[in-house]
Amino acid sequence: MKKLTTLFLLLLCLYPLSAGAEDFLGAPVIGEGQEIIKTDARLELKTTLSHDQVIALYREALKGFKDIKFREWEDATYIEDDGNLKWHSITISKGDEKGTTVTIVKDNWTWIIGTLILRYIGVFVVLMILFLGMSVSGKIISSIVRKMETEKAGS
Amino acid sequence: MTANEILDMLYGTLHTTGIYNFQWNIVVMWCVGLLFIYLAIAKKYEPLLLLPIGFGIFIVNFPLVPLMGYSHGHAQLLQVFYHYGLEWEVIPCIIFLGLGAMTDFGPLIANPKTLLIGAGAQLGVFITFTGTVLVGFTLKEAASVSIIGGADGPTTIYLTQHLAPQLLGPNALAAYSYMALVPLIQPPIIRLFTNDKERKIRMRQLRPVSGQEKILFPLIASGIIALLVPAVIPLMGMFMLGNLMKESGVVGRLTESAQGSLMNIVTIFLGISVGATMHADKFLSWKPLFIFSLGLLDFGVCTMGGIMTAKIMNLFLKEKINPIIGAAGVSAVPMAARVSQMVGMKYDKTNHLLMHAVGPNLAGVIGSAAAAGMFIAMFD
Repeated sequence: MKKLTTLFLLLLCLYPLSAGAEDFLGAPVIGEGQEIIKTDARLELKTTLSHDQVIALYREALKGFKDIKFREWEDATYIEDDGNLKWHSITISKGDEKGTTVTIVKDNWTWIIGTLILRYIGVFVVLMILFLGMSVSGKIISSIVRKMETEKAGS
Repeated sequence: MTANEILDMLYGTLHTTGIYNFQWNIVVMWCVGLLFIYLAIAKKYEPLLLLPIGFGIFIVNFPLVPLMGYSHGHAQLLQVFYHYGLEWEVIPCIIFLGLGAMTDFGPLIANPKTLLIGAGAQLGVFITFTGTVLVGFTLKEAASVSIIGGADGPTTIYLTQHLAPQLLGPNALAAYSYMALVPLIQPPIIRLFTNDKERKIRMRQLRPVSGQEKILFPLIASGIIALLVPAVIPLMGMFMLGNLMKESGVVGRLTESAQGSLMNIVTIFLGISVGATMHADKFLSWKPLFIFSLGLLDFGVCTMGGIMTAKIMNLFLKEKINPIIGAAGVSAVPMAARVSQMVGMKYDKTNHLLMHAVGPNLAGVIGSAAAAGMFIAMFD
């Protein structure tokens, strides 16, 4: 009984580690990071680890998730979730000698609606440019054909 | 030989038959397969696709059939078709080559402003995306489901295979089913969003389009699409190549093959491969059923989007567009254009809208491909 109780207490102590106590909306958080901003929808923290070290940690932590993609920007690495997770993105700053800033943002409808509206407008832009291309080429070709026909009729 | 040995042998033989491995859920899939075969044969709804799809569903839903798995490390028959045709995204592109070789872009070239209707008709695609995410689909799945409203089978297959291959069967089936049901779905929506006066608008006869313009169009279109949405150039490039072959008039044999035998061959492989992906274990869940119900709404909103775009354009145009042709912006070539003609003639027997509706109809093909390209770019 004593052994069982000890084991139970030990498990109880270790539980927070296995349950991911260090997380924000399910996204892993670097333990020794210093919180800069924390709201329900956003966590920003600073760590002394280098950008490469943070990336390595996140690559390991997110290994099992299939809808995660890493994007390399000029000033940051952007990790985005296209699945059903509660968080939307993790931005890891680059090139800061004093440390690395990690920003975790909650999944939000503003992003989804915003990107959809942009893409819908994008479809219009593509077809509008095609429309302009066709109108211009149509006018040029029509005038050339007309000219050739007039020349033919003249001769 | 003892009685036990004989029984053992019989038992072993029984194990290799489908009867021993029978499960009741496959009966549901037989019914689904047979329903599509019935719709294809008796109702003539998209028979070229629904018949092989229906048979594919029927035949893979028997226990132990060596069709979609691997035997001794080698892919089985339908797995081979599926792998090289769909997983490699070859078939949708070849179908677009054939479609291009059959298409006359004359009405679109003569009235290029109808391209905007094709863009407006993608409204449902983006609205459905939101609804699909709300019920718990991932973003990639939502994108693949929402493209159904674009009513373009090959584009739906191409995008789904790219983003959510697990939904290939239900998405393709929903897309082709709703395309077949265009004559039933669209007329009430057209009536709802247009008034009597609008339905009787007469449009000026389209100008004749020269051969040079028709040759130049596929080059301009593929150039612009390659620059702006490179993700769909495998589809649109093949579409424009087919059209260039047709309009150039110098490769008659190739054109004939692309629009005839080649198209027919890949249609067989496409149908049976799509059907084969629909095994009971994957299909009988809430997601495919949801896709079917949402697909209808998607299609309806896309039709409305096309009509409303035509109406908005009329606010700025001197020569008005009959908003009925806006419904053809959902692609589904040429069925949607025919529906516009049919509805228009109901209100004015001498008002022929068919050629006018072909413009937005083709614009819908380009528009849904552009929307698919936007989604691929979003996730790649």
